Amino acid sequence: MDTANSHEHGAGHDDDHGESHGHGDHPKFLAHHFDTPLQQFDTAKLGMWLFLAQELLFFAGLFVAYGIYRNWYPDAFSWSSHQLDPIMGAINTVVLLFSSLTAALAVRSSQLGQKSKTSMWLVLTIICAFIFLVVKYFEYEHKFESGLLPGGHFHPHHLHVVRAMHGAAAAGIPDHSGTFFGIYFMMTGVHGLHVLIGIGVMIWILIRNNRGEFSAQYFTPVELVALYWHLVDLIWIYLFPLLYLID
Amino acid sequence: MSHEAHDKIDDGGVHPHIAPVKMYIAIFLGLIFFTVVTVAVGFVHLGPLNLLVAIVIATIKAALVVIFFMHLKDDAKFNALVFVGSLLFAGVFLVYTMNDTGHRGQIDPEQGVEVLPSTGEFAPGGPARPARSVAAEGHEGEPVTADVVLPEHAPQAH
Repeated sequence: MDTANSHEHGAGHDDDHGESHGHGDHPKFLAHHFDTPLQQFDTAKLGMWLFLAQELLFFAGLFVAYGIYRNWYPDAFSWSSHQLDPIMGAINTVVLLFSSLTAALAVRSSQLGQKSKTSMWLVLTIICAFIFLVVKYFEYEHKFESGLLPGGHFHPHHLHVVRAMHGAAAAGIPDHSGTFFGIYFMMTGVHGLHVLIGIGVMIWILIRNNRGEFSAQYFTPVELVALYWHLVDLIWIYLFPLLYLID
Repeated sequence: MSHEAHDKIDDGGVHPHIAPVKMYIAIFLGLIFFTVVTVAVGFVHLGPLNLLVAIVIATIKAALVVIFFMHLKDDAKFNALVFVGSLLFAGVFLVYTMNDTGHRGQIDPEQGVEVLPSTGEFAPGGPARPARSVAAEGHEGEPVTADVVLPEHAPQAH
């Protein structure tokens, strides 16, 4: 109970929602401009979904760039895609999917007010995020060594290049393959940045959870960071086949 | 706004629908299954069907994540509207842009020319002219002369 809050609120409030409890039992987590915890929860979630909608539209620009250039230069995309390692991509896909599961279970535990379980699931999610970035690092390192770089920096070395087994791409390195790597580095780079930011936010939420700030009545921040994390997973679900598995 | 989404209790408190752990694990296994399918299909040569299959599978996976992991099925309908609305606009962005760029420089595709021979009208834009494959050392190949008649303001390779 936070009586200070209720005093601030006291005089002018109109009790038009007819709740049984007055402002006397305004919980600490409830900001005083909200009537009820539910109203606060729904508001926070709507804000998060609006942010996620913005994130989708932000990534849409990259997906449209991908679509235009794949449509124009299918051979370059096919050849370049074969330079990526689908095994690494698949491992990272499984890692991210698993981290989505642990994030969802962190929310479930916090919904039940199980503090230590919430922490455990959050830690697992953070570890998966680090594994993802480590795998990504090795992939990037290989691309840098092979000269498979964006646009004008594209200077592939014979020894490191994977020969395409079939199709027009088998003939040689198609023009505009550098364009593919521009799009590849931009899409995976921006996605990786989201993973990095996700790690930071999840560590913050983990600390707050350990401080005992959350309960079955108030788990909004855990829910919101999980929503963000699922979106990062969602983007990767499309990136993986579109970048790594072009026929 | 969303009281119907939180069961029937209406005391202003947050009463989330708590799904069983089994459900989360089942969804995860479903996601792994579809990942295996998408990798397997990636090694089968279906031509243009490959892209379609990859997108359909990715969309099924995305739907599983959004509906179950992100709880959109128990959430306020307005949140679903926000999300689906943004997808819709992303679709408009993609389809209209690609419909444009996909037909640049194709004023008479039947004859494979960018200029209407009868009027001399020129269709600008489109992909850069096909050139010889780049050498592995990576210098841009000289653009070969295209087999179509190009006016002076033909697009340069970019």
